[in-house]
Amino acid sequence: MKNVVRMEWIKLRSVRSTWWLAVAAVVSMAAAGVGVGLGYRSHTPVATAAQILDDSLGGAILAQLLLGGLGVLIVTGEYGSGMIRSTFAAVPRRRAVLAAKAAVCGAAALTVGLAASFAGYLGGQLAIRGTAIPAASLGDPAILRAVLLTGVYLGATALIGVGIGTVLRHSGAAIGTLFGLMFVPMIVAGLFGESGIAVGRFVPLLMLLNSIAVTSPVPGLFAGWVSASLMCGYAAVALLCGSVLLRHRDA
Amino acid sequence: MIELRELTKRYGGRVAVDGLSFRVRPGAVTGFLGPNGSGKSTTMRMILGLDAPDHGEALIGGVRYAELTRPLTSVGALLDAGAFHPGRSARAHLTALAASNDLPGSRVEQVLRVVGLSGAANRRAGTYSLGMRQRLGVAVALLGDPGVLLLDEPVNGLDPEGIRWIRDLLRALAAEGRTVFVSSHLIAEMALTADRLVVIGRGRLLAETTVTELAAGGDSLEDAFFRLTSETTDYRGVGAS
Repeated sequence: MKNVVRMEWIKLRSVRSTWWLAVAAVVSMAAAGVGVGLGYRSHTPVATAAQILDDSLGGAILAQLLLGGLGVLIVTGEYGSGMIRSTFAAVPRRRAVLAAKAAVCGAAALTVGLAASFAGYLGGQLAIRGTAIPAASLGDPAILRAVLLTGVYLGATALIGVGIGTVLRHSGAAIGTLFGLMFVPMIVAGLFGESGIAVGRFVPLLMLLNSIAVTSPVPGLFAGWVSASLMCGYAAVALLCGSVLLRHRDA
Repeated sequence: MIELRELTKRYGGRVAVDGLSFRVRPGAVTGFLGPNGSGKSTTMRMILGLDAPDHGEALIGGVRYAELTRPLTSVGALLDAGAFHPGRSARAHLTALAASNDLPGSRVEQVLRVVGLSGAANRRAGTYSLGMRQRLGVAVALLGDPGVLLLDEPVNGLDPEGIRWIRDLLRALAAEGRTVFVSSHLIAEMALTADRLVVIGRGRLLAETTVTELAAGGDSLEDAFFRLTSETTDYRGVGAS
């Protein structure tokens, strides 16, 4: 298993798209943070620390698609190129391959996700320096929790991408499905107005914006850590589906 | 030693490989001949455990491929000239596969030298010519210094020099006592490279023979091949009028 993980790690870092997507995720969150901070500088009434933090983590909407795409490509990039046959010839235990991909991609996406989340926080804080807006300190448990859980959310999104990629095996189809799963349930839940919250609290993007990347969750939604755990549960389900199909299909 | 026992594969209602049984012995180059679409590649993929047979089994040294520990050290395979990620360098591709079977990094440099890609090893493999891709595929096959080699159409896209290089390499590997199983639809090439021949058509075994025997019928090797496969070729054009 250790050797399979080594193989996947070498594969992950030896293609350019990995680095592009990681850099883009961090930059997009930093830019969103700075944009939010600048926007609030001359805003009246003076923004609260919670407002700045909640909004400056909003770049996670884009970062989740980039890191989810990374997860998808780790699998579908191999099917599209024929690499998967070299991989399975070297390691016939297919579920070990999927487990190694999930471990490597999950660790990488969690690291990048935390860096991106921190960059978003920092961008927002730097952009409001010298104004009357109170600074948000990472020493405040509510602030730190939001930053950390946003990173966890991004890591889980990448694993959902790995699962969907394994099920669908086609880059375009898998990325389309991932984007659909991220946005369509939110729109559907929105159609039901207030009562939509009963369902909406299970929807990834609504959880991100109202429960995970915020200092205190919107009423009706789960606590941040519950939402983040739900995301990890979704990732586990996606990987399990992939694992079941992987076993019997021709490569 | 490779052994096939009634290996069968269906795609929907179409039978791609139909009860194929034969053995491939060590110490010789065995050519695997058949027209396009006769089931050669499907058979190769089943031997490697990539496709699951509907019936029968393929054994390598008495066990199924999936049961091999560190399979690259037992079986080396060249499947097609594109079983790599185009964005990855040849060196990274080989290093990743070597890591999976716990092979030392020095093996990567060795096989790069053997196939003549040392100078281009850091280039992205997607920029390679077809001949260089084949060489990279051969490097993967040699990586674990395996006793059994399976090569699917290795001379495809190679220039005359590359074809001779493959031919000499395969003969040298067989002379070392390895089992070398190489598919082709080029009968003339097989006549020069192979000692033994397995001929299939529409997924069925047509002949298990030697080059000498097949040519002994009085006519040319090509005519003998056409005679064998005439009943089983799916697509055939007629002469231009």
